[in-house]
Amino acid sequence: MKTSDAEPGITNDRVRSDERDVREATGPHQADFPYERDEEAQVTRREFCNFLGLTSAALFVGAGGFAGKAALDARRTETFVPLKIEGAAQLLPGTSLNFRYPTERDTAILVRLVDGRYQAFGQKCTHLSCPVYFDQGHQRLECPCHEGAFDAQTGDVLHGPPPRPLDVVHLEMRDGEVWAVGRFAGSEERSI
Amino acid sequence: MAAGINRPPRHLPGKGRTAVAQARLVLLIMINVAQLWILAAAIEAALAHHIAALLPLVIASGICFIITLTLIFWWRPASRHYTSSGYLKR
Repeated sequence: MKTSDAEPGITNDRVRSDERDVREATGPHQADFPYERDEEAQVTRREFCNFLGLTSAALFVGAGGFAGKAALDARRTETFVPLKIEGAAQLLPGTSLNFRYPTERDTAILVRLVDGRYQAFGQKCTHLSCPVYFDQGHQRLECPCHEGAFDAQTGDVLHGPPPRPLDVVHLEMRDGEVWAVGRFAGSEERSI
Repeated sequence: MAAGINRPPRHLPGKGRTAVAQARLVLLIMINVAQLWILAAAIEAALAHHIAALLPLVIASGICFIITLTLIFWWRPASRHYTSSGYLKR
């Protein structure tokens, strides 16, 4: 409130509303309805116990929710639409090519091994989902985040923190072109 | 010590009850911490597609929740004279 709006003779501090004004205004009712603001801010042991109980319930529901969603996703069977990988036929042995399958959000990497065979894997590292790349020097897939490494022929973990193999993209050769026809988890526990 | 002087009891009943209540509180906090760890493990297992590890984790969290309910609703100090229904013990 502006000082100019205050009544004549009332100082600026007096005009500003604070707890003291409230206490003065409710003074006649204090005896009938005693209320201590300091005590209100304190938490009793019983209230804290109830809070811990609610927290425990929330944690249980959270764990159950995550498990239920993961179990539902694992049971879900997807149908994959075959996709031709553009530029795969021109890929030189010992090199790689990035593509997306089965959706635009699912990054994958196609590797042409030195013997001419093709292998494709999901590009997300199974540790913390960093994108893996093909190391031509070692002929393996490596994760730059935590130095995890995967076998370029099978997608299995060679070393590092990844807990399971890379997702495997199934390939087919059709008229000299490379087609992606399916994508599955490397651990065979869940199809993606 | 002169006879007839009433000395205060060495162990006040209220103090013992407070200690039991504090112990219950500590137990509840420890169970909450354990459930936090279980939740973190469940999230990690779900993201890693380790489906087999999820059910034991959920069961463990459920057991922790049941223990929490037990501590809150049914665990009472043995020295309590009144039951929750108001019955006075002899």
